Parts: sequence; structure tokens; C-alpha cells
Amino acid sequence: MDNKNKFDLHYFLSDVSFENWAKGLNKNDITYWNNWIQNNAEHIETVENAKSIITGIKFNQHYPSNEKVDQALARVLPKIGLKPSTKTKLNKTRTINSSLFTIVAAVLLVLISYTSYSFFNSNSSTVHKTNFGEIIDLKLPDGTSVVLNGNSVIWYENENPRYIHLKGEAYFKVKPIPNTNAKFWVATEDLKVAVLGTQFHVNTRKQKTNVVLDQGSIQLELNNGKVTKMIPGEMVSFSNKSKELIHRKVDTETPYALWRGGTYAFNEIPLKEVMFNLEITYGLEVQYESNQLMEILISGGIPNHNLQICIAAIEKATGTRIIHKDNILRIQENPIY
Amino acid sequence: MELHSDETIWYFFKKGEATGFSLLFKKYYPPLQVYGLKLSNNQALTEDCLQNFFIQLFEDRHKQNSINNLKAYLFVSFKRRLIKQLQKNQNNIPIIEAQLFKSNFTFSAEEISVHQEIQFLCTSTLATLINKLSSREKEVLYLKYYSGMKSADIAEVMDISYQSVLNVLQKGLSKLRKSSENKQIRNILKKS
Repeated sequence: MDNKNKFDLHYFLSDVSFENWAKGLNKNDITYWNNWIQNNAEHIETVENAKSIITGIKFNQHYPSNEKVDQALARVLPKIGLKPSTKTKLNKTRTINSSLFTIVAAVLLVLISYTSYSFFNSNSSTVHKTNFGEIIDLKLPDGTSVVLNGNSVIWYENENPRYIHLKGEAYFKVKPIPNTNAKFWVATEDLKVAVLGTQFHVNTRKQKTNVVLDQGSIQLELNNGKVTKMIPGEMVSFSNKSKELIHRKVDTETPYALWRGGTYAFNEIPLKEVMFNLEITYGLEVQYESNQLMEILISGGIPNHNLQICIAAIEKATGTRIIHKDNILRIQENPIY
Repeated sequence: MELHSDETIWYFFKKGEATGFSLLFKKYYPPLQVYGLKLSNNQALTEDCLQNFFIQLFEDRHKQNSINNLKAYLFVSFKRRLIKQLQKNQNNIPIIEAQLFKSNFTFSAEEISVHQEIQFLCTSTLATLINKLSSREKEVLYLKYYSGMKSADIAEVMDISYQSVLNVLQKGLSKLRKSSENKQIRNILKKS
């Protein structure tokens, strides 16, 4: 009786590892809870209810635009006897009132430690973030186009829209500014890309940064201090952690950044690499019936806008059977083949 | 992405400078405006009321010493103000909340993401199904998944117990699941 009361909705909802299990996030948590459920089948109903509360419904927030909010703010400020604070005003406040600034620094230090982003102000910076499986096209203020792949984020200070921070995967088509030769920058945890006007692809997954250059010329400043130039058709891969640097030609017939057109293109790539892309973009976990399956080679294009179609295409290309259940893709041999 | 914690924003807001006020306004005007709109179905009234709400919040900033949970506090105080305003417009006839918000919380298909855990036919189906729920269920779903609020905070905003929040959530979601299954079955039958 006591036991029954203990495992109520609240018990599951207040457990972070359970939340991870429900979202299919952490392998240890998934194993633990799958196991727990098998041994505690009598609680399955509560578990399912708790899971459905965690996953819930996904909404697109239709919030008023920044302009609308700014307009409303401009109407309200005079009524309380305050002048609108512009970006420059904010900077002035900092230099004049040094005590104010120390407090900002102290409070924000905490933020920095867990977000690992450097200090910037919500008034003066712009953030673009994609969810799992979502691809967005962006136009930056300077005319540069960016295609941001799923589960990725870019941000920049409004004063400097040609210095972009990236986490995840993106394709850039940089607009040159010939008059001033102003450079365009993309910064990751591993390196900085300096650009004059070009098309290239940056990927920061797998704890390293991959840069593939399609057109033009770019210069990389690795975070170990080295500087290296790239020519079209080359790929540079660098990890700040392992200090491993790879610089080689890639097959431009099957560009790395093809996902931006809605297809992943693969040329003799092992299945495990292909599935890794899916894991990252859709937030899934992949399990294999046997290790041999991981090594099956795939060539060709796989559509990535719709997960179901994507899975069907991979099944066909590899002759496997893929079972999709609760954020887990289980790959098995197909007895028909 | 959270750039400033609520503690930071509230600290600067209380200092009475434009920066603090703007930070709070920019962060909470959008979610409060949509919440008010969902409650009242009246854009002009909501925006008017919300701007006055911020003004009063600023003028009374010294009255509140510390606020444990800024988001819940703002949602609950704004809701109270909005109800008062609506009652005023009804010639001060005291009416209960349930009557006041009879046809509130309707969702459009565009507000529903295509990525759902539950398999639905399309976003407009899900929107229709949600709109058929009771207004209490819709408000809890709204606060939880649209505004991203914790269940304990929803209890505060809606003035019900934490356990009731969980019960309403569970009931609302299982209704959606059931009617989505029915709808899918009906559609399959239609096709064949």
C-alpha cells in the first residue's frame, strides 16, 4: 500500500533521470528506466501518464514581434518618466556607474559558467536556434544567407552582425563588402573562420569543427593559435580537445552540406555515420542488432525533411529493417533479403 | 535561450532605471500579451491593460520585497488585473471567472508544431481537438507547454493545488490521445 502511494505521478515527474528517459535523452537513464519498468510493471499506467505529461504538446509560440514590443515599450517609458535606453546609453551607464557594472559582472558570471557563452546583452544581440529536425533559412542584416540545420544555434551582437558564433551545423553564403573588404567571421569552440565572400559549411558536432569550402577563399584561425588557408573543395577538421587537425580534399560531387536542400548525400559512408546524422538532427537514439550492421556502406541521397521517408530510404539502401519506437531506432537484419 | 536570470532582471527593475524596466518588459510583454489575449479574446483591451500593468508594477516596485518566482507572480497579477478590467466593462456586475472566459483559449493550426509525440493527422486536427477541451484544461495545457511553466507555478497562477494541476494535465492529454485515435480510425474507414 505504501509502495503504491510512493510511486505517484509526482515521484516520476520530479526525477530528472525519468525526464531524460521520457525524452529519450541519456543512454544510462534510458537503460535504467527500461529496466525499472520491466521489474515494476504494476506502475506502468502512472509511468505512461508521467511520460505523456513530460512530452506533452509542442506549440509554436505566436508571440508579438520585437518591433511590436519595442513600440509598446516606447509608449510606456515616457509614462513612468524614463527615457528609452538605447544600446549606447547602456554602455554609458556602465562606464559612469562602475558599481552597477560590477554587479552585472558578478551576476552574469554564474550564467557564463553553465551556458559557456561570453557576456552579451539581450538588448543588443540576436539568437537563432533550431529544434531537432528543423532546418531554417536566415538572412543576416548584412545580406549573408545562412541555412541552419536542426539542433543548432547561432548568435551575434547586433552591432557586429558579421561576427557569428555557431554551435551545431550551418551553411553560409557570405555577401562580400568590396568597398571596405570587411571580413565575415564564424567562431566555434575550436576555431574561427575569416571570410571575404564565399560559400562554406561549418559543423561543430562530435566535439570538433568541420569546415568545408565550396567557393571563394577563407582563412582559419585555430584555437591553438595556428592559421591555415583553404581553397574550394577542401575540408578542415580541428578539435580543440584532442588537438587533432585534418586538412584534405573532399569529393565535391557529394557535398557535405547537401542537407540544406533537404537531402543527405552519402558516398560509400558506413551506416553508423549516416545514423549519427539522424541522431543529432532528430534527437534519436540508434541501436543495432549486430555490429556488422554498422559497417554497411551507403551511397546516394537520403531525404531528410521527413523522418519516416528518410528511414524507409535507408532501409531500402541497406537492406535492413528499422523499427522506430519512442525516439529509438532499432536496426535489424531484414529476413527477406 | 536565457540571457538574464529573473533575479538579475528584477534587481535592475527595482533600481528604477530604464535598463531594468526594458529588460523586464521585453522578456515578459510577449508571453503576458498572448496569455491575456487567450484569456480575453480582445486585443485592444489586453494591450491596454498590460501596459498599465507594467506601469503600476514599476510604481509599486518598492512594495514588493522579494519575489520567489517572478514569472508566476507576473502571470497571476496580470490575470487578476485583466479580470477586474473585464468586469468593469461588464458594468461592474460581478461574474465568475468561468463565465467571463467562456470561449477563451482557442488555438490555431499555426500554433501547433508539426513535431508531436502523439501521432496526429495534421496540426489543424490537433488544434480542433484541443479547442474542444474544457477551458481549465486548455489553460493548464497553455501554461505548461506554450508558456513553459512548471506545474507548481501553474498551481499558483490558477489558484488550484499542485495535485489538481497534474490531474487536469493528465485528463486533458488522455482525452487528446483518445480522440486522436478515434479520428484516425474514422479517417481510415473513410478512405477504404
